[in-house]
Amino acid sequence: MKEQIEALRREALDAIAAAGDLKALEETRVRLLGRKGRLTEILRGISQTPPEDRPVLGQAANAVKADITAAIEARRNALEAQAESERARAEWVDLSLPGRRPPRGHMHVINQVYDEILDIFHELGFQVATGPDVETEYYNFDSLNTPPDHPARDSHDTFFVKPGVVLRTHTSPVQMRVMEKTAPPVAVVVPGRVYRVDYDASHSPMFNQVEGLLVDEGVTFADLKGSLMLFIHRFFGRDTRVRFRPHFFPFTEPSAEVDISCTVCKGQGCRVCKHSGWLEILGCGMVHPNVFAYAKYDYEKYTGYAFGMGVDRIAMLRHAISSIGHLFENDLRFLEQF
Amino acid sequence: MRISLNWLKEYVDIPVDADTLAEHLTMLGLEIEAMDRPGAEISEVYIGQILSIEPHPDADKLVVCRTDIGREDPLQIICGATNMKVGDKVPTAVVGATLPGGFAITRRKMRGIESFGMMCSPKELGLGEDHQGLMILEPDTPVGADARTILGLDDVILDIEVTPNRGDWASMIGVARELAAFYNTPCRIPELRLRETGEAATALSSVTIEDPEKCPRYIGRVLDGVRLGPSPAWLCRRLIAAGQRPINNVVDITNYVLLETGHPLHAFDYDKLAENRIVVRCARPGESMATLDGTVRQLTPDMLVIADAKAPQAVAGVMGGADSEVGEGTSRIFLESACFHPVSIRRTSRALGLVTEASQHFQRGADPEMAVYAIDRAAMLMQELAGARIAPGLLDAYPRPCMTPVIRLRHARANALLGTDIDAETQRNILRRLGFGIGNDTDESCDCTAPTWRPDVSQEADLIEEIARLHGYEKIPVTLPQVRQSEMVFAPHESKLRKLRRLLVDIGLTELVNWTFSSRDNVLRAKLSPEYLDMVTLQNPLSENHATMRSSLIPGLLANAAFNLNHGVERMAAFELGPVYKPLKNNNLPDERMRVGVVLVGPRQEPHWSESLQPFDFYDLKGVAETILDFFDEAVNLCENDLDIFQPGQSAEIQVNGAPFGVLGKVSVAVLKAFDIEKPVYLLELDLKHLLEKPKIHPQFEAMPAFPPCLRDMAVVVDREVPVGKLLAAAAQAGGTLLKKINVFDVYTGEPIPIGKKNVALSLAFQSPDKTLTDADTQKSWDRILKRLEKEFNAVLR
Ligand SMILES: [Zn+2]
Repeated sequence: MKEQIEALRREALDAIAAAGDLKALEETRVRLLGRKGRLTEILRGISQTPPEDRPVLGQAANAVKADITAAIEARRNALEAQAESERARAEWVDLSLPGRRPPRGHMHVINQVYDEILDIFHELGFQVATGPDVETEYYNFDSLNTPPDHPARDSHDTFFVKPGVVLRTHTSPVQMRVMEKTAPPVAVVVPGRVYRVDYDASHSPMFNQVEGLLVDEGVTFADLKGSLMLFIHRFFGRDTRVRFRPHFFPFTEPSAEVDISCTVCKGQGCRVCKHSGWLEILGCGMVHPNVFAYAKYDYEKYTGYAFGMGVDRIAMLRHAISSIGHLFENDLRFLEQF
Repeated sequence: MRISLNWLKEYVDIPVDADTLAEHLTMLGLEIEAMDRPGAEISEVYIGQILSIEPHPDADKLVVCRTDIGREDPLQIICGATNMKVGDKVPTAVVGATLPGGFAITRRKMRGIESFGMMCSPKELGLGEDHQGLMILEPDTPVGADARTILGLDDVILDIEVTPNRGDWASMIGVARELAAFYNTPCRIPELRLRETGEAATALSSVTIEDPEKCPRYIGRVLDGVRLGPSPAWLCRRLIAAGQRPINNVVDITNYVLLETGHPLHAFDYDKLAENRIVVRCARPGESMATLDGTVRQLTPDMLVIADAKAPQAVAGVMGGADSEVGEGTSRIFLESACFHPVSIRRTSRALGLVTEASQHFQRGADPEMAVYAIDRAAMLMQELAGARIAPGLLDAYPRPCMTPVIRLRHARANALLGTDIDAETQRNILRRLGFGIGNDTDESCDCTAPTWRPDVSQEADLIEEIARLHGYEKIPVTLPQVRQSEMVFAPHESKLRKLRRLLVDIGLTELVNWTFSSRDNVLRAKLSPEYLDMVTLQNPLSENHATMRSSLIPGLLANAAFNLNHGVERMAAFELGPVYKPLKNNNLPDERMRVGVVLVGPRQEPHWSESLQPFDFYDLKGVAETILDFFDEAVNLCENDLDIFQPGQSAEIQVNGAPFGVLGKVSVAVLKAFDIEKPVYLLELDLKHLLEKPKIHPQFEAMPAFPPCLRDMAVVVDREVPVGKLLAAAAQAGGTLLKKINVFDVYTGEPIPIGKKNVALSLAFQSPDKTLTDADTQKSWDRILKRLEKEFNAVLR
């Protein structure tokens, strides 16, 4: 009996080692350990032996069972690992091939810049206001302290729709529209298309502006400086230098133009900044008392500031776009760069 | 305005170098357009005196000169000019000198004789166009001196831009005055030395102003014995530095005084004025005159003219007349210095299409006091430089004396507006330095009178700007306001539009931005319905093709597709989100409303190695429409409608709740041809006005089902023309409450389905809140659906 048990062990271990795949191993396991398997047969045989021999034989049989079970487990692990590696070899991918991407659209670069500008002012507490592209002369000029025959009208080459109606030459008319609708406080930013009869390499007859207006008690020129410097540092970076210099606009007093250190040469002087180191990016000032008079605001109680910037120019500076013409040509090879 | 730094220094001491000065001017509000150093490239040019001129032995057109430049030995120089004589002083470039353009002087042989330098013409030194002969200098010019200094070639020219409010800056004295205030030093205005002789001016002429509104002041002087001739070199140099061309002494002096004072003058030939007198009046109906430029100008009664006893002799403040022009034979001059109403000048200048130096100055407003100085300054120069005798007295008609308002300045208000803490005395000092009169000063306020050259200052805010400017914008503190927001919402649709734009980009569409101009021709080419021809028209468009505001986005999108296909772009999936315009009746502004347009051309995907490219088709376009309407919580309902722009059978109107909101389809071949496009184009345009105005629907929570759905498929064969949408609607209706969802998962034509038929496979999801359904539970519902499809569409179950 003892020999039988030993023989089974040898035979079993050989069979397990010979099992070439998981299916063969399973067949082997059934043949050895199954209900009708060899080991069951032997255990049944032990019950025929003398009782005094049984404990020893039983012990030996259990030991063989444990060995066989362990051998099967080990073999299974080995075969599984082998199968896994074969599958992996079959499923090898070429990492260098391009991935499958969902389609990607591109927001127009002008609107990307608009969004960024408006977001910064939104954080500062401004809300967006809009107005019509086709505007009355009253809102576009007269109510902004620019009466007919004012020399400042010369610099706005205006498209006319009919007498008294124009394509707005700036977003400033929305200032008056907003002030007419509500009493102070007012804090708005106004994005919009504007139009001037001017078309060459650096001018487009339609272009884009963002206007800002803040009216409340105690608004100062210092606040104007602070707000715009914060905007400029957010948008162009903290190391951008900012310069406010006196200028003239009919609808602000005092007025200023704002220059930033050239984004191309960092102020050293280059072609973009006409070797001055500075780039003009916006106009601003304290709202003119005559404008308040048109809005029926009390200039003794309230003060306000206003500013306006060219979005196209800012987009061109940021992305080194050489001609404003590209912005409205709608060449996908251009649009998809941003 | 071109400012010569050398010239400017005659009026004011400038304690800084040119670059710093430019910075200071900028910070005062005078924008520097350009800085020019005309002589920067010139070196080693000295004043020489010609000692001898001998013919060149081997060249007819050359001479051999010996020129003394103050060194030990005179230089031997070969020269081709003929205008010089022995003893003349000329600028002489020695060996090693450089001239404008980097031209270097070397020692060289000319026809066998060596030349050790070059004697220069004005052009060779960048001093004008004259290159016919050498530049002969005044006899007292010191030999051996550096020509750069003598000729002003060390000058710096500042090209400044003058804002429309500061007419006074358009002059040397004006800029000098500003700098004097800034540096707190005196401004030196040239002293007047007039010797008046002979008969009084009032006996020789008279001035009558008929329209004091348009001409508040007119000053005249009569000069006799004027000898016309060239101006002296110093005067020519200054005119050239300012960008002008010297003509003759009389014209040059008026131009010079204009540059110096900013006040335009005009000289008439006194003897050509009928009755030798001046009448300032409006033109009479039908009057015309020839102006100095030789053009005959038709005048209208709103134009102010300077007339003699009979006819207009000048368009007031714009241009003089040819009849009374000063020229050969002129010996007596009537000199004019006047103030005109800026608006009148502006209108006349516009109406005549004639913009002159004078009209530009008068448009900004003239200083009535400077008018007196300017005429005396010009008379003095004519006396000194043209031998004029000045008749005693001014002819000064001044019907509307200039009233300078008294403006109260509250010092606290200035600080409150600026956010500064500038004390009262500093504020007042700034204004004093700028020429303001200060009175009634207390700790709180003072009364200010603006100088006559500052008509732009009319109220307190203007004074505060002056204080801010001279104090320095850079010294104003930097603070952040406490922003308080209004209750009112001014652009309620803005955030929705931004989200829609983002959504369209995220589903793979690229955004287009077109000019909003269009034309009727564009509408016709795109075969849009006639209502689109009702357009907002521009009176002064850029071109015929941009003559109107667009009524639809579609023509622009077609043009974009054509442009891109012509530039080798294969695939286009793009959109535009922008306004269209429509005229409204009465006096209203046009209707402006947002629309979205989508254009699809070429393959559906970007090329990828793993799959072959499929072209865009109608359902890609419809899917975009569904996405957009889903964003507004609406379903797409397409209504078949053969529009001219689209191919029949792939052309539809988009309806929302029964109302037409847009169109979509496959563009017809005829329209493609009109836009020069050779590939299929799918287009969509949707009006967003009502969609944007819809209140947002907030989805309400529904409990997740407790029991799983029972899924069953149904395949039926129907006629090809049966719309699947109707099939689905009928099935949904017949299904009853247990039917939760119905989808079409396949539509098939071809073998073994009979010709003219199609197989439609539906998946039905039944679900109950109470239990897990079995096929048996759903059988009744299933049967009802089938029966309905059989009855309504002759459907046959497969
Ligand atoms: Zn630069």
